[in-house]
Amino acid sequence: MVQNYFKIAWRNLLEQKGYSLLNIGGLATGMAIVILIGLWMYDELSYDMYFKNYDHIAQVMHHNNSNGQKNTVQDTPPVLAEAIRNSYGSDFKYVLQASFTEDFLLEFDNKKIRATGKYFEPEVTEMLSLQMIKGTRKGLMNPYSILLSESTAVMYFGNTDPIGKTMRFDNRWNIEVTGVYKDLPKNTSFSDLKVILPWQLFYQNHGWIQTTDNLWGGYFTLTYAQIADGANMGMVSERIKKVIYDNVNEGAKNSKPEVFLHPMKNWHLRSEFENGINTGGRIQYISLFGVIGFFILLLACINFMNLSTAQSEKRAMEVGVRKALGSIRKQLIEQFLTESIVIAMLALVVSLVIAQLCLPFFNEIADKELRILWLNPLFWGLLIVFAVLTGVLAGFYPAFFLSAFKTVEVLKGTLSIGSNAFVPRKILVVVQFTISIILIIGTLIVYSQIRFGKDRSVGYSRDGLITINATSEIQKHFESIRNELKSSGTIVEITQSSSPTTDVWLMSRGLDWRGKDPNLVVALPINGVTYEYGKTVNWELIQGRDFSRDFATDSTNAAIINETAAKFMGLTNPIGEVIRWGGQQKQYTIIGVIKDMIVESPFEPIRPVVFKIDKSANVVILKLAINQNIRSTLTQVEQIFRKYNPNYPFEYRFVDQDYALKFGSEERVGKLASGFSGMAIIISCLGLFGLASFVAQRRTKEIGIRKVLGASVPRLWGLLSKEFVSLVILSCLIAIPLAWYFMNDWLQNYTYRTTISFWIFASTILGVFLITVASTSYQAIKAARANPIKSLRTE
Amino acid sequence: MHIIKVRNLKKFYNTSEIQTIALNKLSFEVLEGEFVTIMGPSGCGKSTLLNILGLLDDCDNGSYLFNGIEVTNSKELERAEIRKHNIGFVFQNFNLITQLTVFENVELPLIYLGTKKTERKKKVEAVLEKMQIMHRAYHYPQQLSGGQQQRVAVARAVVNKPKLILADEPTGNLDSKNGNEVMELLTALNDQGTTIIMVTHSEHDAKFSHRIIRMSDGQKIIENNLV
Repeated sequence: MVQNYFKIAWRNLLEQKGYSLLNIGGLATGMAIVILIGLWMYDELSYDMYFKNYDHIAQVMHHNNSNGQKNTVQDTPPVLAEAIRNSYGSDFKYVLQASFTEDFLLEFDNKKIRATGKYFEPEVTEMLSLQMIKGTRKGLMNPYSILLSESTAVMYFGNTDPIGKTMRFDNRWNIEVTGVYKDLPKNTSFSDLKVILPWQLFYQNHGWIQTTDNLWGGYFTLTYAQIADGANMGMVSERIKKVIYDNVNEGAKNSKPEVFLHPMKNWHLRSEFENGINTGGRIQYISLFGVIGFFILLLACINFMNLSTAQSEKRAMEVGVRKALGSIRKQLIEQFLTESIVIAMLALVVSLVIAQLCLPFFNEIADKELRILWLNPLFWGLLIVFAVLTGVLAGFYPAFFLSAFKTVEVLKGTLSIGSNAFVPRKILVVVQFTISIILIIGTLIVYSQIRFGKDRSVGYSRDGLITINATSEIQKHFESIRNELKSSGTIVEITQSSSPTTDVWLMSRGLDWRGKDPNLVVALPINGVTYEYGKTVNWELIQGRDFSRDFATDSTNAAIINETAAKFMGLTNPIGEVIRWGGQQKQYTIIGVIKDMIVESPFEPIRPVVFKIDKSANVVILKLAINQNIRSTLTQVEQIFRKYNPNYPFEYRFVDQDYALKFGSEERVGKLASGFSGMAIIISCLGLFGLASFVAQRRTKEIGIRKVLGASVPRLWGLLSKEFVSLVILSCLIAIPLAWYFMNDWLQNYTYRTTISFWIFASTILGVFLITVASTSYQAIKAARANPIKSLRTE
Repeated sequence: MHIIKVRNLKKFYNTSEIQTIALNKLSFEVLEGEFVTIMGPSGCGKSTLLNILGLLDDCDNGSYLFNGIEVTNSKELERAEIRKHNIGFVFQNFNLITQLTVFENVELPLIYLGTKKTERKKKVEAVLEKMQIMHRAYHYPQQLSGGQQQRVAVARAVVNKPKLILADEPTGNLDSKNGNEVMELLTALNDQGTTIIMVTHSEHDAKFSHRIIRMSDGQKIIENNLV
């Protein structure tokens, strides 16, 4: 019996090639998208699972209270790991101190390149169960050693064995390569760990740490842990809660630091905290894309349903005969489901080809390294289940519809598929277009929000601004560099800063001012800059004056604050007010107030910032003379930097590019959403095209009669298109409030958000209307132009 | 023994405003092995009657005993069961499935009966031989002439050796030569014991049967015994 079903299915496919092509093509497109989304979701959900100790690894983080709210931060004092080991050792297998990820300058055999990595305590190799290709996991015991990832080892050493070779690190230290480990996959939180340096070297390389009295006061490292086998993450987390509080000085206790373990399984997908509570993160995108994937598949299935039921008149006779010969309805349902499963299987093959072809683009947009798991039996198993389910989803309605035909009517030839039979099909078209329109409107609003963020005034000028990492040599020769650059005419100005203009690298606690609530614990971004900062970034002073060499006190006792800081401090006349820092030791008089500068997210409120003169900078910011050829300007700038900073490569970043990165996540969502909505509309139009051809066929006789009675081609075209246009207009009416509701909800995630413009809806309606007319017109005009005599005769 | 016994059969068709009576208290019997023709003007209820007899349609009132069993209120599953074991259909427009070959079309009733593949092959080949269409076994219906198609339809109707064949204007779409051939086939089947009920407009075809039931307005008006 089943063989018979397959036979019929196959012959039907061959007999109606155009219809099969539309059906398989539409279904395959939908399935390809689901495969891509599925691979993406698998990649996201399996993030960090590469690590053997995945369930036992956590990052030691803490909540603290400042500026009137509970903040959650990963920064920890450099002595936290040791303190936890000492007091709670039995709860842990490892507690390890690590640095933030840095770009390390490494040199071997005149090859001087930067590689990203961290300083880490030696047991990191065990905690992350690194697969050593060369050397052993004990490599970091030697304080002047380095572990390289395989790709990094190849970059420096080619095919020669790097073990025992000496590299020059940061132009200061000779370190020995003691191990090479397999690169960590891209879907891990340590994928950028290309080199690992011993923790002891961190202390060596940052001499100031050794002279710092209170290491519990500085939050500039990270702490990772692996709990003991059999230990409970929640319970251990609860036990170590007070470890920072117990060790910090009285002043710092005000912020009520509360340590907790953030399990590895939550790092990637649930990384956001609000008021000390984990509120999710990327996991929301997983559900969002899951839903989009489902809807796109649904669109493709609806196409299938519509096309299958539309050609029902052709299949009716077969149903009647089979019933007369003794077939029961169940058998017919089985037969039609088999057909749709066969089509879904064929579509699966095509969809794999489409997915493979689209994968490079998809990976680029999604910033992933996804690949189709051709050799994974589980993947194939899932694909087959997926195809069968798709077949059933797409086939159940046609199966029930077709199998319900009354034998007598069919065989008598009196079967009339009344207007009621078209209602479900119309509903399906409306559902299809509603989904497509929601996706289109959603995409437009995402882009409108990105544009809104981009258009928001940043409070400074990014034109020609570049950032260079500061080195001790640059700091030492800063004035000479500045003079040479200025006299060369290549730059407008140059400054040093503790943070780039696109980020906050330094926060300070314990600030005080007149009128401050004594119970309020504050932690504000502090930016140590040189005198020319304002001129370089072209900030906008709204009160007072800029830093100036003419005032001797500016170098030690002056501060410039932003508008938000003035508001936050409750200062109506901020000029002349004094900010105290570290008790009464340091006092800064406010000499100016600047317009807010967007340093962090363009969608979030700006934080209060205090600027002061400080020459121990982390970055150098230059404003290039942009009226000149940028390439030759940079060459000249490079020459001057090479002269004073010969041991480091000349590496710069355009502030514009750094700023653009702030929109990365939104742009990724926007690009994916536009891809998906494009596909959705293509699938829907394929369906509409197919349906239009069936409607034209069904109405051939009517068209013939109308033509004989004098109807013109445009009039007939209007008649045939009207039906679809009205369905699409109905879809718009349903989709618009839904899209508005969902997108308005999405926009609430942003403090600074665009308003949803009327034009987004208007242009979507117009666009969809034109697409509808275009996809139905070919069939309509073809039918309208046909010779009526022919169509009447065939009847 | 009566293979068919109907009493006071009634069937209405309801449209939005009008009720049409298709069968009006119709009663008659058919003996096993009989060849009965039903004749009458268009719209007199012949085809409706045939559909009810073939268990493809329900009556609204009355009694229908098939092989001694009351079937008027039987469920669809039971009807399908009776149909596939006992009844073969021959239609005016052949109703062959165009996606299946001649062989596969004839094979279909046996598939629904659950006959094994080897046995199916034997039976289909035997009946195709008998209908002299074996040489066309692997052609598709649309590659055949009308007469050949109707022979295939007859083959399909008889392949599972049904007790009853219902033929609805079996020669209606054929020329006289092909029509005669089909009538001879039906007569031969009847000679071998198969009961045949045929609806036709053709007096010529009716002469092949044993008895003619003439209908008008859903009622039997006269019966002629030809034997």
